[in-house]
Amino acid sequence: MSASTRTVDRNAGTPARAARPPQPSTARRRTYKMGHGYWWWALPAVILMLGVVYLSTASGAFFAFTDWTGIGSFNFIGFDNFVRITQNPELVGALINTLLLAAGFLIFTNVLGLAFAIALNRGLKTRYLLRTLLFMPVVLSPIAVSFVWKFIFAYEGPLNQFLGAVGLKNLQQVWLASPTLALGCVLVVMVWQNIGFTMVLYLAGLATVPPELEEAAALDGAGAWTRFRTIVVPMIQPSIAIASTLSLIQGLRVFDQVLALTGGGPGGATETLATEVYKTTFVYQQFGFGAAMALVLSVIILIFAIAQQAATRDRTGIGD
Amino acid sequence: MNQSRPFGPSRLALVAIPATAALLLAGCSGGGSGSGGNGGGDAAEPQSITLAIGSANPNEHQFQDVAKAYEAAHKGVSIKVENLPGEGYPQAIATRVQAGNAPDVFQVASGSGQADSIAPLAKAGLLLELSDPDIKDRLAKGEEADFQYNGKVYGVPTATAVNGVVWNPDLAKQVGLDVTAETSLDDIIAQCPDVAAKGVAVFGLAGAVPFNPGIASIELATSIVYGPTPDWNKQRADGKVKFATSKEWKSTLDYLKKMFEAGCFQPGAEGAGFDALTNGASSGKIIGFFAPSGAAKSIMDGAGGHVTLTVLPFPAPKGVDPMMSVSSDISVAGSSKTKSPKLVADFLKFFTEKEGSKTMADGQGTLPVNATDTSDLLPQYAPVADILTSGNTRPFASVTWPNPKVYDDLGSGATAVMTGQKSADEVLKQMDSDWG
Repeated sequence: MSASTRTVDRNAGTPARAARPPQPSTARRRTYKMGHGYWWWALPAVILMLGVVYLSTASGAFFAFTDWTGIGSFNFIGFDNFVRITQNPELVGALINTLLLAAGFLIFTNVLGLAFAIALNRGLKTRYLLRTLLFMPVVLSPIAVSFVWKFIFAYEGPLNQFLGAVGLKNLQQVWLASPTLALGCVLVVMVWQNIGFTMVLYLAGLATVPPELEEAAALDGAGAWTRFRTIVVPMIQPSIAIASTLSLIQGLRVFDQVLALTGGGPGGATETLATEVYKTTFVYQQFGFGAAMALVLSVIILIFAIAQQAATRDRTGIGD
Repeated sequence: MNQSRPFGPSRLALVAIPATAALLLAGCSGGGSGSGGNGGGDAAEPQSITLAIGSANPNEHQFQDVAKAYEAAHKGVSIKVENLPGEGYPQAIATRVQAGNAPDVFQVASGSGQADSIAPLAKAGLLLELSDPDIKDRLAKGEEADFQYNGKVYGVPTATAVNGVVWNPDLAKQVGLDVTAETSLDDIIAQCPDVAAKGVAVFGLAGAVPFNPGIASIELATSIVYGPTPDWNKQRADGKVKFATSKEWKSTLDYLKKMFEAGCFQPGAEGAGFDALTNGASSGKIIGFFAPSGAAKSIMDGAGGHVTLTVLPFPAPKGVDPMMSVSSDISVAGSSKTKSPKLVADFLKFFTEKEGSKTMADGQGTLPVNATDTSDLLPQYAPVADILTSGNTRPFASVTWPNPKVYDDLGSGATAVMTGQKSADEVLKQMDSDWG
């Protein structure tokens, strides 16, 4: 919008030029064009990226086709590790848990993050303080946060003590050892810690929504929900895409919280693909099989991320 | 506290003993004296070597004591001890050895299946062969194969631990519970509800940590499974028996469920971590918990003499002869790449000699390897002295299992059986599946 406004202002008083459709300025195009003579400036970073990220990933993928235990030599076993993955019921359970956590994390962090962002966007005097308080958990270590919550969820911990104190003793649970509740407890910790992050992303998006536009719509009789649906949501589409993509990826590779809170238990009830990869590789000493699982996990994340990007891409043209 | 490895019995000590309660952590004592002599092995070799150990307790120094004793007995020899973090030690040392950056001597696990176990490291040609016949003669009786690969010796045990119940007899007396090494499990289960009504649990269990229900299961199976069939593991390896078809293994898991349902464990045991054990033991809410016997000394040292603990075997069901699990799995081995092979071999031999073995055992609160004289046992071993001399002992079963996944299946499965998530049959089938 501002670019368009500038174009009109520049052309004021010159009707012939003003009649032409607005063109992106040459100077602006040059800003984003890298000269061929300077490609080598990026070479160190490219080499570092290739060596540190892609080469190590490729070597990990290489071991997925071996029976390496981490010590000594190994044999190539073709796709045996991948066949084994499909035949392992524990991994199916871990995959279901991973998808459940990812879906729950995606929905709750985004819904609550957006809700807090809208509530603290403008008007409220204490909004800066509240934003800071909501964002604080994000900067903490997930492991540290998980141990605090583990204490809260403990049988003799504050949560059960609180329930007992308010006369709800019948609701006291062994939260992290209950096969039906443990996964929910993990999700609560994940969401609690990351609401602040999505809130910040949505606040950035909401900052691009001009108050005048909403005021104009309100004057035209649009209700709060209509304004949100027809003005706010389309304009914060980039924020939705980023926040949902990041939270989906984060949900799919959940590890720290599960390991610290339940260790995958009870009886594998909270096991995820990432914890299975860790245990298989480093605890059970099956590096080849673990590498195959890691490869499968990467592909799953890639597929979901691409699908999610496609689903949330900006189709309105705003921001083009 | 003992050094340990994942899934080995002493792993429990690593975490269980007291990571969370500084009160309970304290130094160990020990000592040794040299017997004179010059050098160790060939003087043409470098006389400075490194010894790497994994420990979660910075106060323990039994390995340092052994190194000092050896240095005192061999002038000119210098041993630098590297104390690596106990958590992740197996992976760290395996990576280091694999990468060709091994210390001259390092702590390993006996048997197979762990990252730092003797068998896989020896198979990869990374360990120094110990050809001295004296060393072979001094390996822990009944566990000789756990220190060998293809008939050759590659590691030596450092001490022997009893894997039983670390017991608070004074607290038991306070709640009117009378338990001896001969008391049956059924008798104890019958008393659990009364004891629980007094706000005390007979046993503490860290159900959220597979090692703990795992060690409890193995200790119980030591009487039920391995008592009548000492070579059960060999039969399993030969395919003659299976977990899923073993009535004894099913009975083991069923008994744990009975204990759980009778309130023998503390409330919330299925979701508890090691902190619940240490907190419960130190606050008088738990009478006993399952751990290697070195835990008793660590806790008593940490409590400054305010607590008296003893070691008991895991009680056996009525009609089953009680057997006690003992293991000498904390071992040391030399690197095949060392520049001082003779010195390394001589130093390793020192661990098997009376002075080295006693220094280690005293420091850990364990027993010297192959100790036959029970007259100078530490006081906490008094209740089990007769069992030790009678020979009613079995090695810790999982040391010779083919991989750590089987033990993890048992540990996490035992908790799942208690919570009703899985049946004993399902757990045992999974163990068969992962046996390979």
